[in-house]
Amino acid sequence: MPSVQTKYFGILSCRDDEVFEFPLGLPAFDDEKRFVLIQLPEHAPLVFLQSLTQAALCFPAFPILAADREYQLAVSAQDLAALELECGRQPELGREVMVLALVSLHDPITVTANLMAPIVLNLTTRRGLQAIRQDRLYSHQYPVERCILETSC
Amino acid sequence: MLVLRRKPGESLLIGDDVEIEILAITPQGAKIGIRAPRETVVLRKELKITQQQNEEAAHGLTVVDFKQALENLRNNSRTGPSLR
Repeated sequence: MPSVQTKYFGILSCRDDEVFEFPLGLPAFDDEKRFVLIQLPEHAPLVFLQSLTQAALCFPAFPILAADREYQLAVSAQDLAALELECGRQPELGREVMVLALVSLHDPITVTANLMAPIVLNLTTRRGLQAIRQDRLYSHQYPVERCILETSC
Repeated sequence: MLVLRRKPGESLLIGDDVEIEILAITPQGAKIGIRAPRETVVLRKELKITQQQNEEAAHGLTVVDFKQALENLRNNSRTGPSLR
């Protein structure tokens, strides 16, 4: 079974069908095209988007509903097309897509979640991208102490 | 902030090297043309913000004690908003 080197979780084995392909990379990390999602019970609801190419590149994230249980997706038409999702409507959270908010650890106490540009993962085609919203309804630095413990996204 | 009104076809000059022209105003937003030297980076603001957030998010694990931060996050998640 193929394995991935990680700085914080040691060497993990992962199947090819557990990998997410990011054809556009991530803003500021345009060359990072392959990630796995690390979900460990002891860290729930926090999950980690781990790069397959750089062991130390690991983004902590919350399932979007754990950060804001009323979150409304607004993926642009271009992003829907890039994700190979049906255009004209928002995808179903949990069924068609998994949506994550990347978490920033400013210091051990100050933690924020980026709700303005969530990571959207197509669960069927295993494609992912960071979908920057075109409205101004959500913050890129939403304080995490308002998080409610939720187990689904 | 400097605020000006421009009609389609009108331009702004910024410094010696940058020209912003309003090409059209549509329901989907203003169509803006930018003339600038090749080495001048032009970015949608929200993209720049996202880049900066991603860099912070990626490096956060190295500058902060990982275990302590996770513990704080777990405590924050469990207490929720009611104790604030």
